[in-house]
Order: sequence, then C-alpha cells, then structure tokens
Amino acid sequence: MINIIYENTNMNYYQKEFFKIRDLHFPHEYQISRIIQAKHFIDHSSPNNINLENTAASACLSKFHFTRLFKKCYGRTPHQYVTSIRMAKAKQLLQSGITVSDTCFSLGFSSVTSFTGLFKKMTGFTPGHYRQKKQF
Amino acid sequence: MKIRLTSVLVDDQDKALKFYTEILGFVKKIDIPMGEHKWLTVVSKEEQDGVELLLEPMGFAPAQVFQKALFEAGIPLTAFHVDDIEKEYERLSRAGVAFSMKPTMMGPVKIVVFNDTCGNNIQLFQPL
Repeated sequence: MINIIYENTNMNYYQKEFFKIRDLHFPHEYQISRIIQAKHFIDHSSPNNINLENTAASACLSKFHFTRLFKKCYGRTPHQYVTSIRMAKAKQLLQSGITVSDTCFSLGFSSVTSFTGLFKKMTGFTPGHYRQKKQF
Repeated sequence: MKIRLTSVLVDDQDKALKFYTEILGFVKKIDIPMGEHKWLTVVSKEEQDGVELLLEPMGFAPAQVFQKALFEAGIPLTAFHVDDIEKEYERLSRAGVAFSMKPTMMGPVKIVVFNDTCGNNIQLFQPL
C-alpha cells in the first residue's frame, strides 16, 4: 500500500526512496522526539551526573527500550555517546594544560590507569602524549 | 592517513566559485591555473584549515552522464553540515536558491535539498 502511494505522486526518485526509508526505519515520530530530547539532556548535563536511569526517564522510556531506540537513531548506545562526550571534554582539559590525573578525576574516572586505557583506545594517544603534543 | 580533500562535479568552475562563496558562504582556498581548468578549492569559513572542497570540472564525458543522472533523480551529490537548518533554509531561499526538499526529518536528522546551479542537488543536514 505504501509503495502504491509513493508511485502515484509527483515525487522524484530520491524523495520516494527517502520517505520509504523513513517510514521503514523511523515510523514513530513521537519516539524519535523523545530520543532527541534525551540526547539534549545528555548534552547539557555534566558527564559525571549522567546515568542510564535518569536519561531513559527523561525520555519516558524503559532503559532497554531507550538504549535500543538511541542506538537506532545515533548508531551508538547511550553509554558510548556519553563516553565520547567525556573524551571530548578530556581533550579540552588536557589542551588547556590540566594534568592527566586532574583531568581523569574531574571527569569521574576512578583511576588514571582506566582513564589512560580508554583515552588511548578512543584517540590513539595516551593522555600524556596528547597533552604534550597539543601544547607545542 | 587523513581525509583532507573532497570534491563536487561542476559544469563551470567560475560559476561554481561564485555560488559556493557568495551564496553558500565558503571561502576560496587554492586557485592554481592548469591550462583549460583550475585546481580550485574552497573551505568552510568556520574551518579554514579543515577539509577542502574541490570544484571539479568534468573534462571526462562520462562524468557528465553521471552528474545528469543523479540530478534528474533528485539525488544529492553530497551533503554539508549546518548548525541551524531552518535559518539556512530561510537565508538561502531569500537569496533565490531553489529547493526540491524543504526542512524534513529523517530520524534524528533534519535535511533540505537544493540546486547548486552547477548541475547538482546538494543536501544540508543538521543532527538534532
């Protein structure tokens, strides 16, 4: 039925494919709005204060449902997205000359070792090397 | 290995430079005469050391066939990121740009599609 509707309009090829894909993958606009709202909640919160419970609650969704929909919209889980924000913040702090340990603890990491491991995995550099590189 | 250069096919480099700078707001970066054509690139005003966009002439005839096919199907050749798509849509509309798609949601992203006057549909997108 949907294919017949698209075929009988004045839409060009791209527009028809665009709306077919949207109807297939993002059929419920109200759910997408809630996910967008939750992402804005994450963007405007301190990285240390974000947890899955309060973020899913901000979207009026269960944790499971929220994680699934977030990944569908943004290609990564909420945890992966929060991690990317923390790493971006870490880069800013290191570039401004803050020490590795101060950066680590200000972002809520429990140890320099775990922070260093994650930073290297995400950026290809250790925090110390990154800080040194950016300062010269 | 880094991505420092991309390109759009254009039917006229001078016309393309005018549109991409005066209308879209990019800034000319490199302009090297090379016989009939130029090595001509623009960059974002906001990221002038960022990725360069080559305004690529179509000396190779099959490229023109490819460009025409995409254009007639409404398919954008490429897409540029904007911070406020409604504002850009209003600004470009006032500047006389022709849109085939006004601001439309696709999941968490809003897009528009317009004619760059150089043979292409171009998409703008704003992640929300």
